[in-house]
Amino acid sequence: MMDYIVEMLNIRKEFPGIVANDDITLQLKHGEIHALLGENGAGKSTLMSILFGLYQPDRGTIKVRGKQVNIANPNVANDLGIGMVHQHFKLVHNFTVTENIILGMETKKGIVVDIKSAASRVEELSKKYGLNVDPYAKIEDVSVGMQQRVEIMKMLYRNAEVLIFDEPTSVLTPQEIQDLMKIMRNLIAEGKSIILITHKLNEIKAIADRCTVIRRGKLIGTVDVASTTKGKLAEMMVGREVSFKVEKKECEPGEVVLRVENLSVLNNRKVMGLKDFSIEVRSGEIVGVAGVEGNGQTELVEAITGLRKAASGRVLLNGKDITDLSIRERIKSKMAHIPEDRHKYGLILDYSVEDNMIMKVYYQEPYSKSGLLNREAIHRHAEKVMDEFDVRAGKGAASDARSLSGGNQQKAIVGREIDHDPDLLIAVQPTRGLDVGAIEYIHKRIVEQRDRGKAVLLVSLELDEVLNLADRIAIINNGELIGIVDAKDTNENEVGLMMAGVKRGDIA
Amino acid sequence: MPLVAGVLGLLAGAVLMAATGNNPFQGYAYLFRGGLMNIERIGNSLATATPLIFTGLSVAFAFKTGLFNIGAAGQMLIGGMCATAVGLTFMWPKPLLLTVMIIAAIIGGAAWGIVPGLLKAKFNVHEVVATIMMNWIAYWTVYYVVPAYFKGTYLETESRRIPYAASLKVSWLTDMFNGSYINLGFFLAIIAVVVIAFILERTTLGYELKAVGYNRHAAEYAGIRANRNIVLSMMIAGALAGLGGAAFYVGYASNIQIGVLPSQGYDGIAVSLLGTNSPWGVFGAAIFFGLLHSGKGFMNAMTKIPPEIADTIIATIIYFSATSILIERNWDKLRKRMGGAK
Amino acid sequence: MKLAFNLTKIDSSEDNKLHYGRKKMKGDTKLFKKGIGILVVVLVIALALAGCSKETTGFKVGMVTDAGTIDDKSFNQGTWEGVLRAAEELKLETKYLKPSGTTEADYIKEISNLYDAGFKFIVTPGFKFETAIFQAQDKYPDAKFVLIDGYPHSGDYAPVVKENTVSIFFAEHESGFLAAVATALQLKEGEVGFIGGMEIPAVQKFNWGFQQGIKYANENLGTNITIKAENVIYQGSFDNVAAGQQLAAQMFDKGVKAIFCAAGGVGVGAINEAKSRAKTGEEVWIVGVDVDQYAEGIYEGDKSIIITSAMKYIDQVSYDMIKAEYEGKFPGGETLVFDAKNNGVGIPAKNPNLSDEVQAKVADVFKKLQTGEIKVSDQQGSLIK
Repeated sequence: MMDYIVEMLNIRKEFPGIVANDDITLQLKHGEIHALLGENGAGKSTLMSILFGLYQPDRGTIKVRGKQVNIANPNVANDLGIGMVHQHFKLVHNFTVTENIILGMETKKGIVVDIKSAASRVEELSKKYGLNVDPYAKIEDVSVGMQQRVEIMKMLYRNAEVLIFDEPTSVLTPQEIQDLMKIMRNLIAEGKSIILITHKLNEIKAIADRCTVIRRGKLIGTVDVASTTKGKLAEMMVGREVSFKVEKKECEPGEVVLRVENLSVLNNRKVMGLKDFSIEVRSGEIVGVAGVEGNGQTELVEAITGLRKAASGRVLLNGKDITDLSIRERIKSKMAHIPEDRHKYGLILDYSVEDNMIMKVYYQEPYSKSGLLNREAIHRHAEKVMDEFDVRAGKGAASDARSLSGGNQQKAIVGREIDHDPDLLIAVQPTRGLDVGAIEYIHKRIVEQRDRGKAVLLVSLELDEVLNLADRIAIINNGELIGIVDAKDTNENEVGLMMAGVKRGDIA
Repeated sequence: MPLVAGVLGLLAGAVLMAATGNNPFQGYAYLFRGGLMNIERIGNSLATATPLIFTGLSVAFAFKTGLFNIGAAGQMLIGGMCATAVGLTFMWPKPLLLTVMIIAAIIGGAAWGIVPGLLKAKFNVHEVVATIMMNWIAYWTVYYVVPAYFKGTYLETESRRIPYAASLKVSWLTDMFNGSYINLGFFLAIIAVVVIAFILERTTLGYELKAVGYNRHAAEYAGIRANRNIVLSMMIAGALAGLGGAAFYVGYASNIQIGVLPSQGYDGIAVSLLGTNSPWGVFGAAIFFGLLHSGKGFMNAMTKIPPEIADTIIATIIYFSATSILIERNWDKLRKRMGGAK
Repeated sequence: MKLAFNLTKIDSSEDNKLHYGRKKMKGDTKLFKKGIGILVVVLVIALALAGCSKETTGFKVGMVTDAGTIDDKSFNQGTWEGVLRAAEELKLETKYLKPSGTTEADYIKEISNLYDAGFKFIVTPGFKFETAIFQAQDKYPDAKFVLIDGYPHSGDYAPVVKENTVSIFFAEHESGFLAAVATALQLKEGEVGFIGGMEIPAVQKFNWGFQQGIKYANENLGTNITIKAENVIYQGSFDNVAAGQQLAAQMFDKGVKAIFCAAGGVGVGAINEAKSRAKTGEEVWIVGVDVDQYAEGIYEGDKSIIITSAMKYIDQVSYDMIKAEYEGKFPGGETLVFDAKNNGVGIPAKNPNLSDEVQAKVADVFKKLQTGEIKVSDQQGSLIK
């Protein structure tokens, strides 16, 4: 009994109209990494917010080191030794690492903040846990992985015993993920305990000791990770069997559909975000673009789809130069685009689902005739697509797009784009933020497009996704094409190194 | 929602009446009687509401495209000037003359709307700045054009009185409403409401305009030319306000005065807010405000409330109900956020 | 009542319809019902109270203000002061209303409101009421109207003064003439100027009279005052205070000693400019208009830059008309002109800026105006503007 450092017993939390947590029990052993697994909206965040003092439970008790506690606010959680590493870092960018760490609990010498002694403590902690943090570096100068470590350091500096990591790997490169796992192991070795919130099964298998699964606010169970398969975990999370490996036939590439020639594009800061980039996508194949966020993928996609002007170079679709065509003319030339940001580009959230379904074709028959919308045809069309792509919405086609869950919103976009029967499908981060069930479904539909002889350009930050789906992989770093590899004869390690800018020939 | 907001506005007005030592029940009784107690007064209330319907529609329409049209006052003024100019220049039969005058008002207002639209689309000049500037350009244009070309026999400050043939007032309507100022402008307003509702709900144009307003990025992604729609939207908004100018200057009034920006331009913003930017909502809100404006004098005459306080009371009702809508809307958002974890 | 109610209802149902896709929460409907409930209660009580309002009988005096406020230190205020004086003396009920705009429709609406509320003796100051009174005198034959500075017409400037209306004019030119004589006598030599508001008859007559007065003083009373064409300006509005200040500053800089301002708010700007100059010891004067503006020009202790004012006794006229009605002698159908002869215009009897000698001489000239020995033209003739 005394092994448990934190116990959340029979927690219930209700929000108007919804039970976010229903009788959930989570017990964290001293010195373990405990994964909290669930789909988006399953109630993970609510549960952790209760532990961190942001919400009060309606029922249930919380015990820390065997003693019942009332965590009224985050300060109480802090005093109990509970710290949280948020998904979105809360750092002041023009402050140094040390300044960020001591923010809010500055030790003072008279009226002056005692940076020196704080910095030496940071240094000391950094060594102890293998964090490798430079106490005097400015946040704006350090990498994302390093920023995350500063967040971890913040918790350690405040003597946290229990660390909650909220989806920590979503912003990291594969190598950084490896480093993070090392750090987590060091933390355990030094006697800390960790709760890891995630929906990535690989990570759980790699590092967690035990795993608590919740689904739609209900506890499904807590299992030993070592003795449970990935498939079993997925099934617990989704509630049905899930396949991971996308079933796909051998690829049969045909004619070149998309040809990008020496394309250079300015980014928002008016410097070259994409440099002299060339790539080809044939019908019947999926070409994946792998790279760490912000290395020119956005510029590439926007230049192909027409959202951004190319500085130089050409884009050809089915042999036709489309470099200077308008967006609408590109769409008419049979280009479809699943955008990276579904809320910014993919959907008009205040429009109904049916209005969103005709976004690119509303001016054509049968959806309109001489400027007048044909509501009936629009409605029928939406119902057809929703039916075909399993889009679920409370009020069917008339629901506001805003009211749909992320997965259903994405399925609606995928449905819309595929329904236009394109020759080229550009899919950017098509499964971002979605749960396993939806990911599986969308992957299947993308492969199906390939098998129908469409050309697919897949841009994703999830290396797994690219490795799984693509037939060929183009690796992009700092706006440049590092190399193109066949998915069949490469591995995560090689692609990961190339993503960091190491050319294939240089890999020992 | 607008009904609750209207009641909240009336309650705020009641508090103000009570605070100044007047009986709110009595005050409102006279206020509503003043606007409705006989057919003539009903006619006058509708006539007062007519320009508000147009400016409210103008603001609401631009808002659907995500644009804040502060320039309804200037567009209205220019529309009115164009209509007056035509009405004073040509001696045609009434139906023909009125048709040309209305077209002139539409063109004038549209021109005044299109400029901020172009500035926004081409140079990303914020439409609030541009429309405010256009208001003053309209003000000074009228200031110089009217005395120079259409001045009255004695008065430099207003145009000649427009002849009956050039007035939107028609005798059968005036007689029907017992000498009221109601005029054809009211029917034009109803037509405008119907047409705008139709455009917004049933046409590809409305679909595009709203798409740009709701999410400009997504609209561009879908191949809709956002800039073209911004210009178009401001043009139509200007045309609506211009029509409002015709309804006011050659309908309600009988000449155009210089040195005055019509208050209806700004009141249109409140109308649009209370009407939740929907055409029929605007219609209802404008009638409500028209009723308040038109009943105010009688409340004044029958109670001890001085005119200055009465103006404040009406303004309180209008702006309290309009802002209630905003509070209401944010309240909804807040509630959604509280229940956000599904 | 029902109409208003229905319209607001349309409003809300429309909102529902257009947001058909959005989930309406239960609470909203409750709020709706509650809102309707409150509205109904308010209206029912309001109607009940309205029903039992007491009917006042007899003679109630109403006034509709022109553009501007009731405390405009000029036209509206003058008229209203006369109404109040009469009402106090004769124990009458009074009420003034402020139209929401300056169109004929706005004026008529307020006249109707006064009439419907039982105020059947209505005073309206300003030429802008001309066409409104033209209609009102027919529409409300049992009401009495006093129209100051104008006469009723249908828009064609052909006067139609009905039995229930009195049209009142002032001899502004005589008033301006007297003020000019006083100013000239006091200053003896130097330059003067004129700032007008809009170029309308009343303001023009002030200007022309003023110029004739200067000329008269130069020719007959031994003064040497000049007025240059460049210093006779109509600003174009009655409310641009800043422009008034600027115009006055320019004239003072050019060496003008006194400015006659017949310009409402524009004159206020000129007065401000003169006050700040007077504080630094500069000798500048303003000639006030309509009412005695001495108090407006005080800049130090009781020293004022208002040398004199060209007055129209508006308050006296509105008082007289009410009294006439009270005594059953209302001069309906007449057009009355108030001038020096009937003491309708003049300059203030007291102003410390004028010496007794000057006052005496002006009084002399005033008498000559009354006897007709001096004639002032109300036309431009060869005068400036």
